[in-house]
Amino acid sequence: MEVSQSIILQSECKHCETPVKEDHSFCSECGFPLKGSDQDVAKFYAKRVMDKRKTNNAHEKIKAARKTLFIIAAIITVFGFFIYYKTQDLVPLTINLVVSVVYVVLGVWSKQRPLIALILGLLLYLTLIIITAIADPLTLVAGILWKILIIGYLAKGIYSASSINKVA
Amino acid sequence: MIILCKNCNYIFETEVKFCSQCGQAVVKNVSSTKLKKVATIIGFYVAMLVYMLLVYYVETTFPNNLEAEIIVVIGFACIVLGFASFDLKPVLQLYNNKAIKFKHIVFAVITPVVTSFVVYFFIGFINSLVAEGASVNYFQEYLYLDYPLFWATFFIALMPAVIEELAFRGVLFNALKEVTTTRLTIIATAFLFAVIHFSIFSFLWIFPFGLLLGFLRSRYNTLWLGMIIHFIHNFIILMIDYYNFYNY
Ligand SMILES: [Zn+2]
Ligand SMILES: [Zn+2]
Repeated sequence: MEVSQSIILQSECKHCETPVKEDHSFCSECGFPLKGSDQDVAKFYAKRVMDKRKTNNAHEKIKAARKTLFIIAAIITVFGFFIYYKTQDLVPLTINLVVSVVYVVLGVWSKQRPLIALILGLLLYLTLIIITAIADPLTLVAGILWKILIIGYLAKGIYSASSINKVA
Repeated sequence: MIILCKNCNYIFETEVKFCSQCGQAVVKNVSSTKLKKVATIIGFYVAMLVYMLLVYYVETTFPNNLEAEIIVVIGFACIVLGFASFDLKPVLQLYNNKAIKFKHIVFAVITPVVTSFVVYFFIGFINSLVAEGASVNYFQEYLYLDYPLFWATFFIALMPAVIEELAFRGVLFNALKEVTTTRLTIIATAFLFAVIHFSIFSFLWIFPFGLLLGFLRSRYNTLWLGMIIHFIHNFIILMIDYYNFYNY
């Protein structure tokens, strides 16, 4: 009686109830230590809590990076109107509006495809910095803290989006 | 499919999330290679971007200088080949011509005739709208040399067709394909290809042009069609400039 019960217990993972083979030391579905001591089981649950916190943290970072895309769109729009009031020239205003529309599209798109949208957002941002630096090298240092902050948020989002196992 | 646990080298014949022998998460390795590919994509693009800035200063400091132009082209080729060498085999496979049939060659010759004329008239239209967008005459740029048409063809048509195709449809395409779907890879490479040309107006035609080249790259797994189209397209634009220079 006791023997058959232990076989039943052995053939199913205690944590996720996936059937397991007898020669397995760990559940291949959730990593539960099938032959481990109480201490191993405690470690397993502690690790799960840590992993969950890590994933939540990654999602937070992606969210912050998504917001950054919209902030870039807003900044570029404001600058476009600022230049327009100074010069009354429609061309730079149009260019800025087109670029901020691209950022809004990337921002919306990053909900489904965070990794690729954030990569394109970052690389476009770096390109814009270089283009304005060619036109006027002084712009490279103007608002440098803001630029570093924006690049930092996007980079963290990209790092998190490539760390979580999801199709980008 | 055979999966190997990186921690204890145990082999699985079916997909598992955790190693049944040592308890390590097996899928975790996917994200670390993904991270490496993402770093390659960003690193490669940023290297090209910084190089473009450098080229700008070289060209303004040494205008009309053949040595400077050749060094610039060699430098760009070195960056692309350097990044290609990280993962050389899939890049070399793109220089095959197995899937190319006669009808593809015909397509690759006719398409750029259409695209180059569309682009030429589109640029003319934009210039009539925006007065300051005075476009350069590509042929005129090389008049300081002995054989301007030869050098213009070399720098404007041949080198971009060979190096840019390897850079965007080769290296960048391969790296992006590892982290996302084929469809998104085509869109992303076309986007970056258009963005790095530094002009909002040319973005409007380079982006669809890049989509076409990316599609051909993924459909036929070769760079040859892209190189032919890219070369003929740039060459026709150059020939229009050549014609305009001697007739107007
Ligand atoms: Zn389990
Ligand atoms: Zn293992």
